[in-house]
Amino acid sequence: MIEVRNLTKIFNRGKFNETVAVSDISLKIKDKSIVALTGPSGCGKTTLLSMMSLILTPTSGEILYDGDNLLSGSDNFKTNFRRMNFGFIFQHINLLPQYTTIENILLPLYAFDADPKEYEERAYSWLKKLGIYDRATHLVEQLSGGEQQRAAFVRALIREPKYIFADEPTVFVDEETSRIIYRIFMELREAGKTIVLSTHDPELIKVADEVYRIKRGSLA
Amino acid sequence: MMKKHRNLLNYSFDCLRRYRMRTAVILITFLIATTMISAVLFTKDGLEREAELSVDSSPDLTIQYIKAGRAEPISTAYIDDIAKVEGVDRVLKRTWGYAGIGSNTYVVVGLDPTGLDYSRGVITSLESGRFLMPEDDGTGNVVVGKLIAGMLKVKVGDDMILLSESVDANKFHVVGVFSDESSIYTADMIVMCLSDANDFFKMPEGMVTDLCVYVEPDQIPNNVAAKMTSMPNVRILDQDLLLRGYRAAYGARGGIFTTLWTILLVAIALIAFSQAIVVGHESKFEVGLLKTFGFSTLDIIEVRLVESAVLGFFASSLGMIIGFVYAAYFNAPALVDILLGWAFLPKEFHLPVLVSATSVFSIYAVTVVPLLITTVVPAWLNAITDPELAMRRAAA
Repeated sequence: MIEVRNLTKIFNRGKFNETVAVSDISLKIKDKSIVALTGPSGCGKTTLLSMMSLILTPTSGEILYDGDNLLSGSDNFKTNFRRMNFGFIFQHINLLPQYTTIENILLPLYAFDADPKEYEERAYSWLKKLGIYDRATHLVEQLSGGEQQRAAFVRALIREPKYIFADEPTVFVDEETSRIIYRIFMELREAGKTIVLSTHDPELIKVADEVYRIKRGSLA
Repeated sequence: MMKKHRNLLNYSFDCLRRYRMRTAVILITFLIATTMISAVLFTKDGLEREAELSVDSSPDLTIQYIKAGRAEPISTAYIDDIAKVEGVDRVLKRTWGYAGIGSNTYVVVGLDPTGLDYSRGVITSLESGRFLMPEDDGTGNVVVGKLIAGMLKVKVGDDMILLSESVDANKFHVVGVFSDESSIYTADMIVMCLSDANDFFKMPEGMVTDLCVYVEPDQIPNNVAAKMTSMPNVRILDQDLLLRGYRAAYGARGGIFTTLWTILLVAIALIAFSQAIVVGHESKFEVGLLKTFGFSTLDIIEVRLVESAVLGFFASSLGMIIGFVYAAYFNAPALVDILLGWAFLPKEFHLPVLVSATSVFSIYAVTVVPLLITTVVPAWLNAITDPELAMRRAAA
């Protein structure tokens, strides 16, 4: 279970451009569920998602995974936790343009004591499922936005992490691919994964077990 | 953990491939800089080694007569006084000067062959023929440097003509050719017996250029020299002083090397820094992404460290090899005049190049270390930033 307590994020604190992105949010996310964060652009969805996934340090508050407050841990501890438990799908996709699709997908595995090549079969299986098998050895800059999004999707799942954080995962893909992604999210939930996503996509919201609406940095 | 380190190593090599422009710029800069500086340093080392070999061949003490602050011929009457000094083993006469053949100038040295110490120094290292013996005195027999033998196309058994100051033609007979063990010291040297040199230079009766003092084996030359300071109008040169003189001439070359080092350091630091900025945004984003995936700060430093070290060591090593070839096989065109200064260097002469561990270490230190600092430090700063912020700032 993920529990967020009184989470606040203030950017540029004490400066003329101080911005309160997230203010005093508390929520609980059950294991093996899909949770959607929705709200207008700039409401703080991505910031909240980033803090929950430990890639952004909150100004105040607590984040507990199975009862442990991870924010009290060292940077190294949080890094290890991310490596072992998290998969990320970013709003801006964030693939390395000089790498091929398959190289990007295998990139997170470089931080493990494992041979990335051992995961190639799994990666190709996912690529096939998402319809971009033939783009595996192409440089990602040669891929369309939708294809890049699907590649990023595979990258997040390659290690079969327990928690998946997805920021607008269907924003660049067509309807058919969106439907594939909905189905995959549901399959992942069945497989015991917890998925936290931010989205405007009403179809994706329908798939969610729980929906949190955010407005101006607070739960609506 | 081995697989992880192999992964990081592979990733480092991938970075070199991906950041092609930065790799190329650093590679070319380092190549030019290290080629230049290694040619200079290796030649300087070679010249200093030559100086040491030359000093090994020198007497323990050299006594010169000083008049009005300048060296002038010394009377052989000093020999008796010097020989009486405690610790002096023997005193030999020497006459030396310069002679021209064509447009070139050579060093002519006249030695007393009866008292020479054949056991030490490179001066007795011959490629062919023999060294001078007492019976050569007054015969016009000479031993010549390898360079002269090559330029004049003479060998053992041949005759050669030297013009004296009064432009008289003097015929000499070659009985030996020096080896190139000490290329600079003996390259342009013609050694003959003392009486032949005195005749050639038309030295006044009882006068020589200087006196060579050899101390007893258990004596320290400086201590023996201290006992001679009361002698009027003489300058006593010991081997340390000669070596310092050679080093001053061939070594530091009056700040040229310091300037070159400074230019090199500044150039490398600037280029490495500018490249760090060029790829800064991309690198910042990449570090943020890697941190998100679970790369630790140490993993990221390891990646950047390997990347910079491989690039720096490869470029510097290649530069040193090119620098060595440039100096040793092509005589360092454009640099040679600076390196040798007033020293005469015919075109047939090959620079004495020596690769010393100190120079190699110094070159690596001024090339690889700045590169490591300018790439690893920004990577470390990015790695200790929140991954989301690092990526956001890179995108901004």
